Amino acid sequence: MLDTFKIAFKLKTTYKVNAIIFSLKRIPLIKKIVPDDWYNDVNIKTLGNVFNIFREIGTLFIGKIIYLFFMFMITSLFFENEEANYILHIFIFSTFIGTIYKNYLFESSNDNYYGVILMRMNAKEYGISNYIYYILRTFIGFMPLTIIGAILLNIPLYIGLLLPLFVVLSKITMMGINIVYANKTNKYEPLFNGVPSIVATVILCILAIVLPLFNIKISNNLFLIILFILTLTSIYSIKKIFEFKDYLKIYKTTLKNVNDFDKFNNEAVLRENTQKQIEYKVKYDSNKNGYAYFHDLFVKRHRKVLTKAVNIQSLILLGILVLAILLVVFVPESHDEINRVPLKYLPYFVFIMYYLNRGTVLTQSLFINCDHSMLTYRFFRRPSVILGLFKERLKTLIKLNLEPALIIAVGLPIILYLTGGTSNNLNYIVLFVSIISMSIFFSIHYLVMYYLLQPYNANTELKSGTYKIVQALTYLVCYYMIQIQVPTLIYGVCTIIFSVVYSIISLILVYKLAPKTFKIRN
Amino acid sequence: MELVIENLKKKFDKKEVLKGINFTFEKGKIYGLLGRNGAGKTTLFNCINEDLEIDDGSFYLNDNGKREIKAEDIGYVVSTPNVPEFLTGREFLKFFIDINKERINDLKTIDEYLDYIKIDKEDSKKLLKDYSHGMKNKMQMLINIISRPNILLLDEPLTSLDVVVAEEMKDMLKKIKKDHIIIFSTHIMELALDLCDEIVILNKGVLEKIDKENLDNEHYKNKIIDALKEE
Repeated sequence: MLDTFKIAFKLKTTYKVNAIIFSLKRIPLIKKIVPDDWYNDVNIKTLGNVFNIFREIGTLFIGKIIYLFFMFMITSLFFENEEANYILHIFIFSTFIGTIYKNYLFESSNDNYYGVILMRMNAKEYGISNYIYYILRTFIGFMPLTIIGAILLNIPLYIGLLLPLFVVLSKITMMGINIVYANKTNKYEPLFNGVPSIVATVILCILAIVLPLFNIKISNNLFLIILFILTLTSIYSIKKIFEFKDYLKIYKTTLKNVNDFDKFNNEAVLRENTQKQIEYKVKYDSNKNGYAYFHDLFVKRHRKVLTKAVNIQSLILLGILVLAILLVVFVPESHDEINRVPLKYLPYFVFIMYYLNRGTVLTQSLFINCDHSMLTYRFFRRPSVILGLFKERLKTLIKLNLEPALIIAVGLPIILYLTGGTSNNLNYIVLFVSIISMSIFFSIHYLVMYYLLQPYNANTELKSGTYKIVQALTYLVCYYMIQIQVPTLIYGVCTIIFSVVYSIISLILVYKLAPKTFKIRN
Repeated sequence: MELVIENLKKKFDKKEVLKGINFTFEKGKIYGLLGRNGAGKTTLFNCINEDLEIDDGSFYLNDNGKREIKAEDIGYVVSTPNVPEFLTGREFLKFFIDINKERINDLKTIDEYLDYIKIDKEDSKKLLKDYSHGMKNKMQMLINIISRPNILLLDEPLTSLDVVVAEEMKDMLKKIKKDHIIIFSTHIMELALDLCDEIVILNKGVLEKIDKENLDNEHYKNKIIDALKEE
């Protein structure tokens, strides 16, 4: 049994160290330094093992410190200045609750999956040896903490010494109950599971808190009696635990949700969620042809994240606009304040337009639900097809983004006018045009980046460092725009010129380069 | 018409996967590409399909003179079928025909095409995301052969199909082979011997044709396995 435990422990350490190396290799820049043979490097492995030992020791106490701290806080909450009197009572019930939720064997974990299911280790030896380790960890972890706690709270020291024993005996007893239950029912699940566990928890919580309010609590002597009973039940439980044979069945039951390991990976979750966006109703048909047909169906079957989401955005903006207009009409005193918003805070609207933009959502759905598979077809990478679809997509994105943009672009001049107007009538036009051009700029920017840098690989992982940098830069530039202090007219005109020039240049780049750059990354 | 590959090289980090491929594939034949796991079969296909940048060498079509390979020259059927999940089978077909009309010689109706790969009307109106693996595979194959590309790269296309569908696909390939250069990678020796006109193995980064000469199937099989075992 000790051998089984050693092997399981080594296995756990190995894959944890490998996981650390693996995650290091996914960080840009750092991945260049980490060579492939780190997985084989004895020194690195030793370092990893040392790190792992520290972690084992650290986790021995950290969780328990937090647990005891919270228990003290709760006791304080109900019985201020009388914590020492009641904390034992609460500790006892809290431990009972703990036995329902944290009792090792019925918890699903990667460790158990690798050990028992993949490596086919002897389930009984694996289960019992790891359970003993778990019980020892619990005992050792609690011991110094309960002693210190007892001293700090002025509770008799023998209580502090006996509490860790109480915790492990409770856990063993609960485990025995579960084993007997599994044996009787062939269900291989803990007795308290689902609704019964919630009911039991609620009852135990009530007993923990309400009884003391009526001045009923578990005294030190009663605690000793409970401890004595638990010792007897634990002896019986240990006998049952060792007699029990079907550990493998327990593991198979608790691990049935874990074996789909893809679920632990972010890209897979993203892919699954994005695929769920597809909505199919017969009425979402299209009478167009070619690229327009293909793209039209894409947009219609992604209504939820595209048109619907934009409509909601627009409705909210419209609501804000109406409220603002009402405020302006009915509270004339607000005019001075509000009059300044459109002109002085125009730079802030870059940031707002940045957030309203649907570019990220659209490109992500496009890739996962469409281009990811279509790019494997060579015809889809013909320049005419790439550019034909690019046009359709750009039209859609501009249209989507324009809907909320129009509300802002029309709303700002209206509010400006209603609150007393401006000295230069050109401001109205500049406000309108600059908001619209910002919106179009963002639409083009996102789609062009997608086509020029196509950042995803076949597993829908974001692979391009450049793309991430451009994304971060876009955010920083938008943020920086807020700080700029120039007259609205100049600012607005600059925004318009920048948007137009940027758009023309990037469209030329797409037409020249996209047939080469738009493919799945390796 | 021929697909000519000259001194094609490709490495990943320090690992040289393709170490100078020299080969000429002719039209009208199905080439069975055999190689051990990790030998680089898919890498070779990805290079020809320009999914991967090659490090050295060249490949082109020889059609009464050397010419560059264009996107429309290649059909590539990958082993895990990729189809646009938001479309129905029928819609995917319509889109493809729409944008390739002038390239397709003997254009048939959508229903005729669907009949050809035996996908019934009901199924053709379902979203592709709800298709089984085999049905997706058939759609992928259909899309790749409708426009009659000169080169067809098939990466283990039959491995995961049920016996009936696999047999249908085999017949289809035999029917269309006279107009194409077909390279068919597989791990199944029997399939390669049954379907392919030539066996080519990819071993140690180079391509080598295994001549059948006048060997019977059993001896030929041993010869192939010996060639694959060579270290």
